Amino acid sequence: MNLLTPERYITTTDGDPAGKPDVRFLTWFFPVWYAVFGVIICVLTRVTPPPRPDVTTAGTVAFFTEHHLTIQIGFVLLLILLGGAPLTNGLVLYHMKRMSVGSVFGYGYIAAMSVGALPGFLLVGVCYLTATFRPDRDPELIGWLYDLGNLSYNGSLGCFTTAYVVLAIAVLYDKNGVFPKWFGYVTVWQVITEVIATQFFLFYSGPLAWNGVLSLWWAVVVFSVWLGALIFVLRAATIGEPVDSPGLD
Amino acid sequence: MQILQEVQDLPSAGNIKAQWVSLWTGPAVGAVLVVALLAFPGFWPPMSPTLTAEQVARYYAEHTDWIRFSQITFNLCGIMLLPFFMVIVVQMKRMKTQSHIFAYCYLTAIVSGATIFALSNVFFLVAAFRPDRNPELTLLLNDLAWIVFIAPIGMVLAQFLLLAAAVHFDDGPDPVFPRWVGAYSLATGVAITPAAGAAVWQTGPLAWDGLLSFWLRNGAFAAFVVVMFFVLRRAVLRQAVAEGVVAG
Amino acid sequence: MLQRDAPTTTETRVPGDGHIWVMVLGDLLIFTGYFIIFMVFRTMNPADFLAAQQHLNVNIGVINTVVLLTSSWFVARSVLAARAGNHRSAVRFVYSGAGGGVLFIVLKSYEWAVKISAGHTNSDLFFSLYYVITGVHLVHVVIGLIALGVVVRELNNPGRRRLMVVESAAMYWHMVDLLWVIIFGLLYVMR
Repeated sequence: MNLLTPERYITTTDGDPAGKPDVRFLTWFFPVWYAVFGVIICVLTRVTPPPRPDVTTAGTVAFFTEHHLTIQIGFVLLLILLGGAPLTNGLVLYHMKRMSVGSVFGYGYIAAMSVGALPGFLLVGVCYLTATFRPDRDPELIGWLYDLGNLSYNGSLGCFTTAYVVLAIAVLYDKNGVFPKWFGYVTVWQVITEVIATQFFLFYSGPLAWNGVLSLWWAVVVFSVWLGALIFVLRAATIGEPVDSPGLD
Repeated sequence: MQILQEVQDLPSAGNIKAQWVSLWTGPAVGAVLVVALLAFPGFWPPMSPTLTAEQVARYYAEHTDWIRFSQITFNLCGIMLLPFFMVIVVQMKRMKTQSHIFAYCYLTAIVSGATIFALSNVFFLVAAFRPDRNPELTLLLNDLAWIVFIAPIGMVLAQFLLLAAAVHFDDGPDPVFPRWVGAYSLATGVAITPAAGAAVWQTGPLAWDGLLSFWLRNGAFAAFVVVMFFVLRRAVLRQAVAEGVVAG
Repeated sequence: MLQRDAPTTTETRVPGDGHIWVMVLGDLLIFTGYFIIFMVFRTMNPADFLAAQQHLNVNIGVINTVVLLTSSWFVARSVLAARAGNHRSAVRFVYSGAGGGVLFIVLKSYEWAVKISAGHTNSDLFFSLYYVITGVHLVHVVIGLIALGVVVRELNNPGRRRLMVVESAAMYWHMVDLLWVIIFGLLYVMR
């Protein structure tokens, strides 16, 4: 199995391309997009892991000054690639609609994730880009953008909690076995980390701040496990679908 | 379009009627949006990113009423374009050789894209709400408004790419849209992509008042809506004929 | 009565299925992370943690521990009853176990209320970790009650009564109990 093309990523055990062509394309797109997204958020823009909350206003200005080039490159790329989110969410919706519980959880998932795209993803990009747009802005305003960006990105909770709850319930109820049951349980862990994330809004430092070891770092580990599991089960689900099954209604 | 008497109570007729109404909300809302567009002083010419805080504050103080009127209209009516785009979603779901996954992705992209547009309206309106605000704050709000309006093209780009992909995969005997729609959609997507640079450059064609970020981006999007109106009109009519709702 | 794919009682097998083991082992691993983090911060602030810990009521902690252990015993009995085919008895045991869970929630809520009104809130590092760890555990108890509810429905349905469902929920409940014992030891007792 290799990731270079959809036809070589989604295959039967004999190596022939499997699944429906358009679903196969999106199943391949999913890990590719998340990989690029990972480079953007971790390496270029440095929002994951986030910078410290316990900095002075001068510290926030220094942060933006030091990283302004990679922030601008990273987030401009993100502005262009943001549309990958509807694609990846749509793929999950597709498989959720194949579950025996019907479509309602799928629609709930995609509705909740669509909400998350704006306050939970775009807003930090806009805030950071606005901060680097005029470096000579009043430092208090730059500090304001720093807080708004980091709190919104790390602290957007309800949308993702909702999405994970409906996904977990759908997987656990599903009799068609589209996703394995253990993935439903792994998704419940994601719900718990979102609940813990409520503590971000209360602390400037320590294990529960927005860069805290318990509330953020451990949660990033759990998220990585969940995402890896999701990529794995999506591939299996796409391969497992009979090519001649009818389209979504 | 005249629905046949004998089928007018059937669900298939209801479906066609609903699509027809949604389709025509496009030009109707579009006309209102054009008025708001012409009325917004910040577009004629587009406000320069290089204005100082005092200049921006004075601009909002001098043009408060027109800014408020046009942005309120944008906010009220911009989202009313959603039904028009939903006709595209419905037509994408009619494509025979596919799983229709792209239609659902398209729906999500539209929703997110429209939300981002609404957010930019709110920033303009908050900037115009207290013209005597500290000019630095007005400058910040103005920056946020313009950057959110012009630069986050990702969702919109996804719409164009998804439509192009859907048309590409719809290679069966009876495609919903003519093949050129896919290429046109792709070209529009390429045309709007440079606008992401508006979040970085203050001058030049990529700045939010520049040739690429402002004129090409908005012009290409508006042209797409106009062109798709005619494409969709034909598609809905063909569907109506094929389903026996309208005389062929 | 049993599902087609369930093994016969003469085979030795691991209870539940692979899926619930992923849940239990993974959950234990995640909590281990929380415990390690707690221990690290405790090592960095020994005097503060010790002082704050004095305000925790060990008695109510002990009562809660006994309550959960008893409820685990009931749940274990219900598994045995279900295996023996005695469904009414199994359901009664599940209700008893769930009752223990409810009592635990009531006691913990009371304990939190007392602590918060006495001024021990998130502003203190020990207490902020205490609330988060016991809070996440409490959510697990609530989920456990839902799982026990699923078991009752399963046992009352003559067309189902899959042993795997009963065993999976029981495993989850035992895990919740085990986690509490560790939390009690780490947060309440260890000085």
